[in-house]
Amino acid sequence: MKSARYLFGAVRAKSMEYYTWLLFIGIYLATGLFVPTLFIPATFLNVLVQGTTVGLLSIGMAFVMLVGEIDLSVVAVASFAPMAGILAWEIGLPVPAAILLTLLVGVGVGLFNGLLITKLRIPSLVQTCAMWWMLAGIVLVATRGMAKAGLPNSWMQLGRVFIGPIPLLVFFFIIVVSAAVIFARRTVTGRRLYLVGGNSEACSAMGIPVDRIRIIAFMTSGLFSALAGYALSARMGFVSARFAVEWLMPAIAAPVIAGLSLTGGRGNLINVVAGAYLVQLIVIVVRAGGVSGYSYEFVQGLLVFIAILVDTVRRRVTGL
Amino acid sequence: MAGSGPMLEVKNISKNFGKVRALRSMSFELEKGKILGLVGDNGAGKSTLLKILSGDLQPSAGQIYLESKATRFKSPADAMKKGIAIAYQFLELVDIAKVWENFFMGRELTKRIGPLAFLDVQRMKYLTAEAIAKYGHTFDIEREVRELSGEQRQIIAVTRAIEANPEILLLDESFTLLSLDGRKDIVNFLGEVNKKIGITMIIVSHDLELIKTLSHYIMVLRAGEKMFFGHTDKISIDQIVKYMLP
Repeated sequence: MKSARYLFGAVRAKSMEYYTWLLFIGIYLATGLFVPTLFIPATFLNVLVQGTTVGLLSIGMAFVMLVGEIDLSVVAVASFAPMAGILAWEIGLPVPAAILLTLLVGVGVGLFNGLLITKLRIPSLVQTCAMWWMLAGIVLVATRGMAKAGLPNSWMQLGRVFIGPIPLLVFFFIIVVSAAVIFARRTVTGRRLYLVGGNSEACSAMGIPVDRIRIIAFMTSGLFSALAGYALSARMGFVSARFAVEWLMPAIAAPVIAGLSLTGGRGNLINVVAGAYLVQLIVIVVRAGGVSGYSYEFVQGLLVFIAILVDTVRRRVTGL
Repeated sequence: MAGSGPMLEVKNISKNFGKVRALRSMSFELEKGKILGLVGDNGAGKSTLLKILSGDLQPSAGQIYLESKATRFKSPADAMKKGIAIAYQFLELVDIAKVWENFFMGRELTKRIGPLAFLDVQRMKYLTAEAIAKYGHTFDIEREVRELSGEQRQIIAVTRAIEANPEILLLDESFTLLSLDGRKDIVNFLGEVNKKIGITMIIVSHDLELIKTLSHYIMVLRAGEKMFFGHTDKISIDQIVKYMLP
């Protein structure tokens, strides 16, 4: 009897820890009653695949949020980095090297952001906003405002290959996210992201290189933005200046829904994935629900706002 | 090494900030294993002295000897390497991190799996609990530090500081958060630490009662000058106050 109560308590504690997943599953089932196509396997896979973009972007965003910063340049990196890779391919770089270049460009932008934010003490909001603007401008110049199509086939395999009924992209997403979770939870640098976000002065006093940890957060964000851009271009078959730009707000909302503190130091990356899928679900449902084109953005925003509100109230009540 | 002179000797140390003379040719000695209570009004030079001893500031003039060897502390890290540990006023804890995370922050333990190094969480938890239990305390190391009492936070900060087996422990005003009972606990705890590992301590506090019970020696500063240095028995609290005031 006693052990049963203990078990129940443990299960409850665990389920509260992964509350965002419960929220996602609950809302999925509930909206499925009104939008029955959600229960068709193909739709479910579609949610999984489409969610990878906002998922990767929000994981990147989560890393900078852990140290109490923000990165508005994620969506610009998501178009700039694959654009750089494709241009390099056009002048003769083999595809694997071009993909690697794409990721390095993402990391490089993150490094640059991080250096300016830590060494010159430019607020991250300002620095990454300027970076967003600049990179989007460069892509516009490079493409002359046109979408760049005609990507090589091997580049697009990630978005086109299936393993059984499940797209390769889903497996890719699971592997990359697992790596991010292990990095954050199980490595010295990952743990230090949380500590620096919690109290950076205490960290300095205890000999943790605070600036380096912050820079690593921005580099990780750059890497994940580049991954998101690469995966999206592989799926869509093109890159453009406005590419992924609609995902900036969802990429900020998802970690917040997942309970990441905006002041840093707190949060579970596994929940960020659920937060991302929740936002993706809202977008798909609003589209499938036949909301007219004009009110579509408003309805999305409203639903995300409600999700954040519900979560904030929950945290107030449970004190987590 | 025993009986080979004082653990710490400070000789004619001065520190000027522009025209302000924060410390004026200060000298004193401290034997190994003794506790020195450092008192004085705000601006008397206590913090400046502590910062010089912890490598945070460089003296304008004078010399420090550690076990009779002339020493300079170029940085806090350098001082730490030479055996000086410090626990600050605000304890330098991350409130929203767990006890064991705070205990090992900056010196995390890892284990290798292939070419990769991962945190050895089990070992860190075990060693944290063990270190705290060594001085007769037990509390849940899985809890976040913000949930703990002032004296528990103090105990974490001090046990963490002495983990590296320093020769000298500097404690800067870290008792301001304590309740009356908590203060008694801390006096017992620090006395226990001092006895058990024979560590030399310099304690800065406004709490004269605490200084009087805990210290072997007391030094009173006023406007950067040493007004009194002597055995605790040789001075009453009233006299300390008299020395502190202009």
